[in-house]
Amino acid sequence: MNDLCAEIGWKSVNHHGEQLCGDHVEVIEKKNGSYVIVLADGLGSGVKASILSTLTSKIISTMIAEGLPIEDCVATIADTLPVDKVREVAYSTFTIINIKENSAAELIQFDNPHIIFIRNGDAIPYAKTEMNIGGKKIFRSEIKLRENDVFIAMSDGCPHAGIGISYNFGWKTEDIAKYMEGLMSIGYTAKTMSTMLVDECNRLYGGKPGDDATACVVKIRRRVPMNILFGPPANRDDCGRMMSLFFSKAGKHIICGGTTSAIAAKWLNKTVRTSLNFENDGVPPIAEIDGVDLVTEGVITISKVIEYAEDHIGENKLYEKWEHYNNGAALISRMLFEEATDINFYVGRAVNPAHQNAELPLNFNMKMQLVQRLTESLKKMGKQIKVSYF
Amino acid sequence: MKLTVCIGSSCYIKGSQSVVERLQELIAENKLENDIDLCGSFCMGRCRQGVCVTIDDDTFSVSPESTEKFFEEEVKTRL
Repeated sequence: MNDLCAEIGWKSVNHHGEQLCGDHVEVIEKKNGSYVIVLADGLGSGVKASILSTLTSKIISTMIAEGLPIEDCVATIADTLPVDKVREVAYSTFTIINIKENSAAELIQFDNPHIIFIRNGDAIPYAKTEMNIGGKKIFRSEIKLRENDVFIAMSDGCPHAGIGISYNFGWKTEDIAKYMEGLMSIGYTAKTMSTMLVDECNRLYGGKPGDDATACVVKIRRRVPMNILFGPPANRDDCGRMMSLFFSKAGKHIICGGTTSAIAAKWLNKTVRTSLNFENDGVPPIAEIDGVDLVTEGVITISKVIEYAEDHIGENKLYEKWEHYNNGAALISRMLFEEATDINFYVGRAVNPAHQNAELPLNFNMKMQLVQRLTESLKKMGKQIKVSYF
Repeated sequence: MKLTVCIGSSCYIKGSQSVVERLQELIAENKLENDIDLCGSFCMGRCRQGVCVTIDDDTFSVSPESTEKFFEEEVKTRL
């Protein structure tokens, strides 16, 4: 094992007027940093395409994850997929990214646009071996992983974007690669990179995509730990223990909550300097304590982080807000969603007597629910989460 | 004079942002920037009385509506 890890994100836009997407991405996580990622594009669009691509990606990901050879996968798909009555073929393209223990990626590609591979910020060519399996031309590659390697898998809806509208021949793969290179230095999440690619396709289609378009981005990153302290301990006597455990951890330190930051400042023998800058999106101002990377208010800020997080794992419509705002919630979001891979939560169970007031929408149960909702969303982003209660 | 406004969770919900913005305006209108040091604080532990504002060591309960009255009666008289 090394200290690399894979961050995976994808986004689709449906063929104009269709409720279902004919592309499907399936991810299976195995032990020791191994993942099987399959992007399949079913013939046509709508229900039929959706069934074909879902079946294909589920079958392939399951079989590859069990260590079966690609030949068996292709044979199984050929035997299983329903035959299209009009066209008399059973057909779905696929792209497989098989990450092996965070050290190598095996790429297997059939009839989708070829994976764009970015290393050191540049899209570069990579060796492909052509195989013929059951009359199908399949390309296989194996790449040793390095930090900041990025793989971009797509359905043909991406390079076809804008045909006859914005471009004569669609959005060329080389140009897509250039566009993605431009996003590399900013540190966007894999999800945001895939969203930006698909949003651009949608724009080129004039908002009415002529095909389902899907992008799946796999980013190879170094592990980054992060620590977050939220709420004072239930028992006052545990303050010292909680603070020493929190501050002894490697990585950046975020403190959420007024009383909590006062306890931390006292323990560090520093002061809390509160800012009076009311930033946008209804989040209270932040503060500073020497030796702490970020200090924010508690429940209102965390509620906003959850709103950003739940959106990010789904539609991803709000990323421009937390990407550009400088309120406490946006700052936490950038640190947790983009920077961190391993997040340690130190949660205090103290009841704030001042918050137990019927007039206010704040209470103890709410705080515990916030921790649960936030950690669930972060797990869905692929983060390793540890929660300690005090 | 040190004028501190609580911006903790509870006072924030009760309108500390409006109180701060109104105080900033009043200080500017009266040209008192050199006499008043306006700052923020996380929870002062008196959430029921929010929005909590302290003048040096005295605590007051101020609302966005009563900010102007508070400024005239409590702040200006102490300068």
